[in-house]
Amino acid sequence: MANRGGAAQRPSPQTQGKICQFKLVLLGESAVGKSSLVLRFVKGQFHEYQESTIGAAFLTQTVCLEDTTVKFEIWDTAGQERYHSLAPMYYRGAQAAIIVYDITNMDSFGRAKVWVKELQRQASPNIVIALAGNKADLANSRAVECDEAQAYADENGLLFMETSAKTAKNVNEIFLAIAKKLPKNEQVSGSGSANQGRRLVESDTSAKTAGNCCK
Amino acid sequence: MEPRFAGMTFFATSHAGDVCGTNGLPLTPNSITIYGRSQILRTFSHPNLCMYLDIIRGKHERTMIVSEFYAQSLASVQDSISVPGIVKICHQTLKALSFINSFEIVHRCLAPDNILFDAQGNVKLFNYGLYFMTGKGADVSFPIGNPRYMAPEVFLVDSQIASSPKVDIWSLGIILAEQALGLGQVWSELKLAQLMRKVLSLINCNSDTSVFSRIAREHSCWTKYENLPQSLVHLINSCLQLNPSDRPTPKELLQFSIFKEYTLDDIQIGKFDRPDTLFENIHPLNSLPLQELYYLWRLAGGDVQSELKKQGLIRTMPPILSVPRLVLLEGSVLGKRRDQTSLLDLKIIPLSLDSLRNRLAPVPFSAYYPLIETKSDILNEEEECDAATLPLIIRERDTEYQFRRVVLFRRLLEGYPHTKASIVREARQDIPPLYRGRVWAALLEVEGDFESFYVETDKETPNHTDRQIEVDIPRCHQYDELLSSREGHRKFKRVLKAWVERNPQYVYWQGLDSLCAPFIYLNFNNEALAFACLSAFIPKYLHRFFLKDNSAVIREYLAKFTHIIAFHDPELSNHLQEIGFIPELFAIPWFLTMFSQVDIERCLSDSVAFYCCTPRSTTYRQHERCPGKISQKNKPYHPDLEMSAQSVAELQAESCPRISGADLLDLLDSSKFPRPKVLVVDVRNPELFHLGTAPGSINIPHSRFDLTQESPPLPACPEANILLQNRGKILVVAGQGDSPHAVQVAQVLLRNGLPKVCVLNRGIDVLQLANLLTKPTSS
Repeated sequence: MANRGGAAQRPSPQTQGKICQFKLVLLGESAVGKSSLVLRFVKGQFHEYQESTIGAAFLTQTVCLEDTTVKFEIWDTAGQERYHSLAPMYYRGAQAAIIVYDITNMDSFGRAKVWVKELQRQASPNIVIALAGNKADLANSRAVECDEAQAYADENGLLFMETSAKTAKNVNEIFLAIAKKLPKNEQVSGSGSANQGRRLVESDTSAKTAGNCCK
Repeated sequence: MEPRFAGMTFFATSHAGDVCGTNGLPLTPNSITIYGRSQILRTFSHPNLCMYLDIIRGKHERTMIVSEFYAQSLASVQDSISVPGIVKICHQTLKALSFINSFEIVHRCLAPDNILFDAQGNVKLFNYGLYFMTGKGADVSFPIGNPRYMAPEVFLVDSQIASSPKVDIWSLGIILAEQALGLGQVWSELKLAQLMRKVLSLINCNSDTSVFSRIAREHSCWTKYENLPQSLVHLINSCLQLNPSDRPTPKELLQFSIFKEYTLDDIQIGKFDRPDTLFENIHPLNSLPLQELYYLWRLAGGDVQSELKKQGLIRTMPPILSVPRLVLLEGSVLGKRRDQTSLLDLKIIPLSLDSLRNRLAPVPFSAYYPLIETKSDILNEEEECDAATLPLIIRERDTEYQFRRVVLFRRLLEGYPHTKASIVREARQDIPPLYRGRVWAALLEVEGDFESFYVETDKETPNHTDRQIEVDIPRCHQYDELLSSREGHRKFKRVLKAWVERNPQYVYWQGLDSLCAPFIYLNFNNEALAFACLSAFIPKYLHRFFLKDNSAVIREYLAKFTHIIAFHDPELSNHLQEIGFIPELFAIPWFLTMFSQVDIERCLSDSVAFYCCTPRSTTYRQHERCPGKISQKNKPYHPDLEMSAQSVAELQAESCPRISGADLLDLLDSSKFPRPKVLVVDVRNPELFHLGTAPGSINIPHSRFDLTQESPPLPACPEANILLQNRGKILVVAGQGDSPHAVQVAQVLLRNGLPKVCVLNRGIDVLQLANLLTKPTSS
């Protein structure tokens, strides 16, 4: 259990350069495709019918970036507004966030902007935020113009891509873009011992006592 | 034994290629739409209707229908039928039509071969659901109806008028005319195209020459026509009115005086009630409701699909022959050979009951009427089926065992709520799948007039939860045919809206749909019951979980959950604590959906085991339905012996659960537990300990623990060894009053891997209230 994710598949730092581990959170209106994006990124799959996420789901995926191995610990959150009060628990200490909206739904874009504001105010100051306009395969019923979203992203210093979990368009790309932008100095040793008892919730920089996380 | 039901099959139109709806989700296959829509037909029980027993989806949009069936139809009656006989057929057919009309269903393919007769010669209308279940024919590629009996407007106007109950009256008029004139079939020599032209040409008839008289003339039976009683001619003429607005509905026709002229009950049609059929009919299997008979038939190996295959109705073509010549990139397919096997053949295949009869031959007659109130001496235990001890999955497939269970549960359900206790007792053994919906309702104690309550509930007015419900329903629970059908979606939405409407203190949280799903699935044709079950289930298991602000409830629940993990599995608890994996991160979906998204079977057996070895008070929550009510009749305990509320912060600050004095007294009761299940660890000073403590307790003063350390080891003393030797017993750490020492010591025991550690609420002092303090033995 200590070496979750399997140490075997993790290249050792001596031979393969750095290994970085980042906490990433997905946020956005419900039914915009957060879980589908993660499923596509982590398992390469797409389900036409994706059950709604209750609370949150946790998944991991590793990507290689030149000499660095980046391991994402992904928190896929519930989109329903009612679950909002849980969100800080998931984005606290996150180094990256993908805020997802549905290009066929203008309201979901508005909700995305609210999330951006909240993260800028309350998340870690150096958090890398990406904006994903999902369901790009439904461009026929587009309600949010690409230019508008791009302009908004530029203003706020966000990464931006239109993605499609269904066709896999820009899914790996957006995670890679995040990985590139993340600072690589927070190295986590892959040798195993340093990993034992690693806290899943908070990053090392903002450690708090457990049990206080949802306050 | 005569077959009691028959199968038929057709294909629904398939959607072209990879088409998505406006919400980006795939279009619902037509066969699923049909499947969902047709479920209501299975509830129709009327003396003049054949009952629909099952609708089955096959491969490639195939739909198979199983319906009650009788071999004798109006088309097969050879002898000419007397005028009273005709009136009787008309009357019973009208009653059947009027019944289905009340559900806004029209037959649309009424013809002599769809008018069947039971053994007593009563009309049993057949195939009346085809037009309805196919969405007025929209979901299939074949026309519905026999042109010979079709009303002229059906050929001419839009489907709204062509679907009025009056189209059936025209068909009935033609059928009656045939019988009255003694014709085998009208216009029997005409081909299809001519037939349609003929029906349309009737439009030229006017008030002088009625349609009926023209048919009589054309078939050269004018004399017979003239000799018919005026009331019958009037009836037939009313049916054959060209303008639908002049034609009466079935309900209106039933008011005609002709039906009072004859004593219809005594009229015999054809040759029924033959002695041999009479003998057949007393086979006890015929006393079972048809649904039960069909259910058992399938368990005994009956398979509609293979029967249809045997009869050549389902043919398959090797897939290699259906490969298209060319597929364009955008998905269009060219040069695909038409699959001859998909052509329509509405032949009806009777399904033989012989194998079921043989399978149940050893069952004694008395088993059909089990005594449920008193276990009779005649029915001794040996008669119980040997399958009773087998695993559930086998019991659910064993014909004879299910026969006994089904008969028993039907009778118990008929007696509900009087039989509640028996239902609970029997349900512990198992529940026959056929009656699961109603049995669950009984277990949830659903009673009273839940139907009117549901009817009176507003399920339509738009509100702010609609958007979320509408987003969630089409994407969730699509694994199931019923729940993924449009009808299923509609029911989902109505039941959820009704629940929110009836519980203003609660709101729709994502996850509520998962709780709703099983009840809709089990009671698909009884929304009111599904709603009543959901309404009873939530307060029972998820009391106050769906408050708009449920954080206090959920956080208390999760804090308690943490305690219970510590109580039962210190190793897991310590590990979760170490990595900071709090239940807020992972357990919310479990509890908010009652584990509906995990493997419930394992979950259930584990939870029953845990429940049995968890003192009730250790799970005490102030937000539970009846907090602290521990059923201890006749024992008026002091309130200090019961649990008291703690804030979430207090709960989270403690690692182990607390146990009430009442529960401890119970556990110390040697008459209940001859081998002690509990060990009290008194952490007070030895002086206090020697003045009086709990029976059998050991003394480890808290000062022996180095509480300044984060996780100190157990102190080196003989008492610590006693602790380790008693590993597995409930370890109740008791201090003086509510002093913090007991909580701290309990945490040390937990960190050292001892299971079942809890803290005595309010300390050792509570035992004084029960005069239970004893001098410690000098061990």
